[in-house]
Amino acid sequence: MRSRKYRLQGAGLDLALPYLMLAPGLLIVLGVLVYPLWDGLRASTKAYRYGSVVADVGMQNYIKLWSDPQFLNALWVTIEFVALSVTFEAILGFALALFCLREFRGIRLLRTILIIPMVITPVVVAIVFRLIYASDAGMLTAISEWTGGGQVQILGSPVKAFFGLVVLDVWEWTPLMFLILLAGLQSLPHEPFEAARVDGAGNWRVFADLTFPMMRPVLAIAIVLRTIDAFGTFDQVFVLTRGGPGEATRLVSIYGYDTAFKFQQTGYAAALFVTIGLVVLALAFSAVRLLRRVDAS
Amino acid sequence: MTQSSRSRLTRRSVLKGGLGLALATTALTAIGLPVPASAAGKKVIIGAFADGGLTPFKQKIIPLAKDAGFDIEFLEDEYGVTLEKWFADAKNSAGQYDLYLLDDPWVPQFGAANVLENLGAAGIDGGDKDWIGSMIDMGYWPPQKGPRVKGFETAAPTLICVPFVGDLQTLTYRNDVYTSGAPKTWDEVIAKGKEGVAAGKIKYPVVFRGVSGNPIVTSWYPVFLSFGGSFFDDKWNPVFNSAEGKASAEFFVGTMKQNAPSGVVEFDSDQEGAAILGGEAGAIIQYSGNALKADDPTQTKVAGKLDFGIVPKQTAAIAQMGIFIAGIPKSAPNKANSVEFLKWYVSADIQAKLSEAGSIPVKRSAFGIAKPGNRLIPVALQQLDAGALPRPRTPDWAKVEELLGIELNKALQAGSGGGAALDNAAKQVKDYLSSVGYY
Repeated sequence: MRSRKYRLQGAGLDLALPYLMLAPGLLIVLGVLVYPLWDGLRASTKAYRYGSVVADVGMQNYIKLWSDPQFLNALWVTIEFVALSVTFEAILGFALALFCLREFRGIRLLRTILIIPMVITPVVVAIVFRLIYASDAGMLTAISEWTGGGQVQILGSPVKAFFGLVVLDVWEWTPLMFLILLAGLQSLPHEPFEAARVDGAGNWRVFADLTFPMMRPVLAIAIVLRTIDAFGTFDQVFVLTRGGPGEATRLVSIYGYDTAFKFQQTGYAAALFVTIGLVVLALAFSAVRLLRRVDAS
Repeated sequence: MTQSSRSRLTRRSVLKGGLGLALATTALTAIGLPVPASAAGKKVIIGAFADGGLTPFKQKIIPLAKDAGFDIEFLEDEYGVTLEKWFADAKNSAGQYDLYLLDDPWVPQFGAANVLENLGAAGIDGGDKDWIGSMIDMGYWPPQKGPRVKGFETAAPTLICVPFVGDLQTLTYRNDVYTSGAPKTWDEVIAKGKEGVAAGKIKYPVVFRGVSGNPIVTSWYPVFLSFGGSFFDDKWNPVFNSAEGKASAEFFVGTMKQNAPSGVVEFDSDQEGAAILGGEAGAIIQYSGNALKADDPTQTKVAGKLDFGIVPKQTAAIAQMGIFIAGIPKSAPNKANSVEFLKWYVSADIQAKLSEAGSIPVKRSAFGIAKPGNRLIPVALQQLDAGALPRPRTPDWAKVEELLGIELNKALQAGSGGGAALDNAAKQVKDYLSSVGYY
């Protein structure tokens, strides 16, 4: 009898244990992921004044976004920034990964050095770049004046400030691309490459017919990850330009932050971020579909 | 038998282990938590944005406060993040601060949200004749004078903030360039500045802040006021794009830019401070933060060559006021201490000490002490008497400043089009204020 009771307890525990083990994680996910999302969605349908809800406005905040020139400008700047940065990062990251695939003396040290930018806090990176770009006391101006030139104006010109921001992002995040692509390259099977070499294929033929096609899924994943991440770029812009000069580097993240916290339009800002979230989701789905199509072909 | 009992033992071990780990973590966390130090006095947690204008307070008044029995914790942040940080603290009743040292244009936003204590009810006398009138006026919400935003038309003005440091803009100029004293007009600033450049004494006649938003608007505002501009009419219609306003904007983005460092579009207070204290610029309109460094040879290359005067005029010599103003959040953990501290701080004795320490006081009697700690203090009083105006008392000033600042910054990049920039900004401001129910 005593032994049977124990067995029953054991069976009950067997049934309950998985749920008990999952419960803390589930609660955390509900608390920190689902609830804020739901609350954000709810806030996006309200009008706020002075930090408090004053009216239920349904979808008005979403409709208003598309006639807000500041939002549209910020969205366009963000798209340009993401497209340029991610393209350069993918090209450079792939080139570096191909280079570092070879084994030679010092390659381990080189690989380590190459990933350093990625591990530096973005705010610190932005401060360093500000010290490089500043027209009065920046490093570029110092070099220019030392070589007989004048002040270098980066942050005061809309086009140069924008490209200055792209350069910063490329410097910081190319290592991530490099790391993902290097891992991808190292996992490719050796046999096709050996066969191609035996058949007399040159470097370009090997790259065009084998490496690139085989790497396309990894490349696509790396690009999707970086694209999603680049859409949320905030720290570097906040420190480097605060969105200026004018609106030249004002990304949606900066505009959304100002709208929510500086101008206290919480509902409108929530609608903005939900919209951006949907845009990023749409991009991710498109990329995944593209990837499947590539795989199928 | 052996296998079965081992299996049960493992499940229990997992549960027991998990429970034990949780208890151990809790205990360790509890042990590891910093134990509050034994009370060294009446605790007051002050939040401030980093600014040189508060240096005398930090260096000279905080030690006095400690002697008076207050335990001051002074938490500083960068200007650009304090408004949102403190508003969130107050609105969510987080209780992280006892006292905010606000920039005065933020008072309406905190007032409209009803998150600050009524200091009049707490015993601070807003009617004391020793206050600088224009400064204490800024502590009331809704404002005692001027237009009021919708929803507050009939509300009784309440003292929610008290002036803390009486900062306002004045002119700092090079006395070896402007040899006959402070330049009286903007034309004189430019003409004599050019002579100083030609003589190799300076590199640029003027320097100012050109960054979008608050910096550029703050630099343009005294020029705008001196040209005779008004910002809003009494119905909150933007009128800053009047003929006077446009003339000031054209002068600012044209003449002033041509006579300033080439990178002025990206200049904020650190760069403009470096230009005047480093001996490159001839004149600057600024708040007290950098002006207080003018006589310190460790902070300027031109100690002894910098003098102060009231702002130049076109039609009037009017400066912008931008005082530090103190408010106690309703969620303050040490509310009674904060009220007591403020009463102590604004007393005539301590204001005199503040003036001796080199900071601009908020009580008139403190301007008259025998030895003010800085040459700027009597000039600040002259400027107050000549004319100094606060920014419009609206909770939406941050947005208005942002819209105007972007347009002015674009015109500054181009070096022309100041008038058109004001037209664009006026339209955007009107649209925005319409959308939030001003009309």
